[in-house]
Amino acid sequence: MEKLLNEMSSECKPAYSLNLDVECDYQIPENLKRNSNLGLPNIAESDLLRHFINLSRQNYALSTTFYPLGSCTMKYNPLINECIAKFNEFNSVHPYQAQESMQGILEIIYKLEKDLCEISGLDYFSLQPAAGAHGEFTGLLVISKYFKSIKQKRTKIIIPDSAHGTNPASATLAGFDIIPFKSDLDGSLSIEKLKEILTPEVAAVMLTVPNTLGVFEKSIIEISKIVHDNGSLLYYDGANLNAVMGIIRPGDIGFDVMHINLHKTFSTPHGGGGPGAGPVGVKAFLEPFLPVPRIELKKLKYILNYKKSKSIGKIKSFFGNFPVLLKAYIYIKSLGSVGLKNVSEQAVLNANYMLAKLKNIIDVPAGEKCMHEFVLSPKSVLKNSVKTLDVAKRLLDYGYYSPTVYFPAIVEEAIMIEPTETESKDTLDKFIEVLIKIILEESNKCPQKVKDAPVNTPVKRLNEVEAARNPVLKW
Amino acid sequence: MDYTQQNYKAIKQMLDSIGVTSIDELFSDIPKDLRVKELNISNGQTEQELLNSFKGLALKNKISTTFRGAGIYDHYIPSLVWEVIGRSEFLTAYTPYQAEASQGTLQAIFEYQSLICALTGLDVANASLYDGSTSVAEAVVLSLRISGKNKILISSLLHPEYIQTVKTYLENSKAELVVLPQGANGAIERTVLEANIDDNTAAVVIQSPNYLGIIEDMQTLSAATKSKNVLFIAVVNPLSLGLFQAPGEYNADIAVGEGQVLGSPMAVGGSTFGFMAVKKSLEWKIPGRIVGQTTDKDSKRGFVLTLQSREQHIRREKATSNICTNASLNALAGCVFLAGWGDEGFVNLAKTNISKARYAFNKIKSLEGFKVKFENKTFFNEFVIETQKNIKKINKVLLKNNILGPLDLSNFNENLTNCLLFCVTEQRTKKEIDKLVELLAKI
Repeated sequence: MEKLLNEMSSECKPAYSLNLDVECDYQIPENLKRNSNLGLPNIAESDLLRHFINLSRQNYALSTTFYPLGSCTMKYNPLINECIAKFNEFNSVHPYQAQESMQGILEIIYKLEKDLCEISGLDYFSLQPAAGAHGEFTGLLVISKYFKSIKQKRTKIIIPDSAHGTNPASATLAGFDIIPFKSDLDGSLSIEKLKEILTPEVAAVMLTVPNTLGVFEKSIIEISKIVHDNGSLLYYDGANLNAVMGIIRPGDIGFDVMHINLHKTFSTPHGGGGPGAGPVGVKAFLEPFLPVPRIELKKLKYILNYKKSKSIGKIKSFFGNFPVLLKAYIYIKSLGSVGLKNVSEQAVLNANYMLAKLKNIIDVPAGEKCMHEFVLSPKSVLKNSVKTLDVAKRLLDYGYYSPTVYFPAIVEEAIMIEPTETESKDTLDKFIEVLIKIILEESNKCPQKVKDAPVNTPVKRLNEVEAARNPVLKW
Repeated sequence: MDYTQQNYKAIKQMLDSIGVTSIDELFSDIPKDLRVKELNISNGQTEQELLNSFKGLALKNKISTTFRGAGIYDHYIPSLVWEVIGRSEFLTAYTPYQAEASQGTLQAIFEYQSLICALTGLDVANASLYDGSTSVAEAVVLSLRISGKNKILISSLLHPEYIQTVKTYLENSKAELVVLPQGANGAIERTVLEANIDDNTAAVVIQSPNYLGIIEDMQTLSAATKSKNVLFIAVVNPLSLGLFQAPGEYNADIAVGEGQVLGSPMAVGGSTFGFMAVKKSLEWKIPGRIVGQTTDKDSKRGFVLTLQSREQHIRREKATSNICTNASLNALAGCVFLAGWGDEGFVNLAKTNISKARYAFNKIKSLEGFKVKFENKTFFNEFVIETQKNIKKINKVLLKNNILGPLDLSNFNENLTNCLLFCVTEQRTKKEIDKLVELLAKI
């Protein structure tokens, strides 16, 4: 067990120190002065290094293991991206220095926008949002402001029940009411049901394509027509864009607004929970509403344009998560148009290969084909009240990170697998073998072993109920 | 160049297993007429080509000795911080849903939360938010939700981009945002706050040090707020808390702020992280991820994501926020940064900032054509100087000497025409400050 920082604290010389080369000069009035102790730990540099390296070794990461986490697109994070992102000429630039002195950065943002437009078929992007959910929120505010500008009162958003939880949460934050859309068993959407709930108050329908069960929505063109005939807009949740790059473009099939998770499709590392980036793309008629500043090219100079009277304003300070944008742009430049299409083809190939190997053994509610991910429902084959959660934990014992489990909620005991394009057939074969072994063999012959899993991890099964019942949130 | 692995033989075997003859068949559900012909994106490049082309782009940015702050600051980042955040086990891990396989990230976040609580003097911190501006917006949304009231008083001396972000977040809510005007001394006055507060006020938002670098009288402002049963939201620079009163000491309900100063590079303003700490009574109301301590089957200590029924993946439209991905790696940098100073070292870091800023302040104010804007106000590492000289010319001359000069406040508000906001951190040497002063004297 690795000690906590406060438990390591001693009267040693701490890791960092500073010299002052001017006179120490600070007088602080009593009423402004801190009186309480800080209580920061005192730890030497060598011990502090060991502590964090030891902690890092308690993580399963993409750099150490297969991470088939459905919906999260845990693809290989190229090292060249990290290498370039460390350049001082990117990291030491101040956001308020003159535009002329940050032309390289503005050029990258500008050109990344253009590439994202080309990939998505939308006309403009704002790269300001810091994550997928932030992009959703931005896109929905754009939609809201647009309808206000044409004096239409539209207060509702239709969201399928298979959507990511961020969709309804973002729509609520943006001031909309949610109309839930019950999807069919395979996650697809019924045109008849859509017509029933599509009222004049609906501002937009938010769809994930392919959906979270890994199925491409066959009726998308008809859905698009019905939605637009109603005067509503169509929103594309780009979480699953990795399935369709160079294959279809959301803008071409009727979507008006979308966000892209650069930390999924465009390979920027997830960092244990961020930073990400959630650029938001729109059709031309919505461009005036995008956040400021817009980065534009005027007389061969890249400029920041704040003068957009219809803009929703700022969604965060400055220009977005630049290092993330930079890494995504490097990725696009390294792959090129052929490489990008190859990504989606190989991602879909890998997923279908795994599905083909598993579909005769474990139930697949969405049928025998998939896009870049698929969802299993092992309920009928698991024996001795072994649950999906147990299977997930047992996989950790074999050195794999777990697939996404219990999502989407419309599938019982769901196991959602997304291999991505960067894994070899050999890796997939070995994982499939282990998954089948756990579900068919171990759940039958040694169920307690599965229920007691994991045992090969730094800690055994953790008590989440206790954590929430009696919260200990700091030392 | 791409990062796929399958060769022709493997692809053939895989297609056979699937029972199709080509990869294209896998896309047969997508109508042919919807398919893209070819993306108009330049051809792929090798690693070596990328390195060269991006070096070229990097060199189109200018790096200077900076005396500019205003929300993003040039601070020293210890080597240990770079080492830890560069560890691929932290960098390439996902949000730690599978706790047993994510103890490294989870324990580090738990430590981060503890350090933020120590610094702010509050009880509960979350795992991070996107940045300073959105942390204020989230705090405002939280206070509106729990109070059931709909008026927010916000300091006009809060960073202007934060105010704009809050406005955007509240665009479609019923909330009314009232901006408290600045007093003559560059701070928010108690009387102004009291004149605006009423039964419908959900929260008061005050930044200290404020946008002009001045330390606000948080004790007084908080007391005036709390006496009306209104939530007090403190927006603070964590480095300043080595010397100045902590939010917990003046009874703030929520402390938020920009974490960039704790180990993240300026990087043109992001990525950084936002922090949020609250009183115990608000622990179920806080947005975003929280890590809690628990035990495993063998009663061994371990860490998990907890209080998850607040969050979007469980509560969907009823969640306390839509946030999912936050800024975990930057918060990790913050954790490593805060862990290495000890109390004395951290106080010394704050003293170094203030001493160097005061050294520059005393020199500049004595120059002809420059004078103090706000007399006798306490500041941290930024201060305002009024000048009769041409500001554009000042910054042009400084830039020629590779110095990023002070921020021109003329556009901030009409009271600050001809005013400059200087920032001096521990990064600036006496020699650099002397050079700045020398150049200013000549203009």
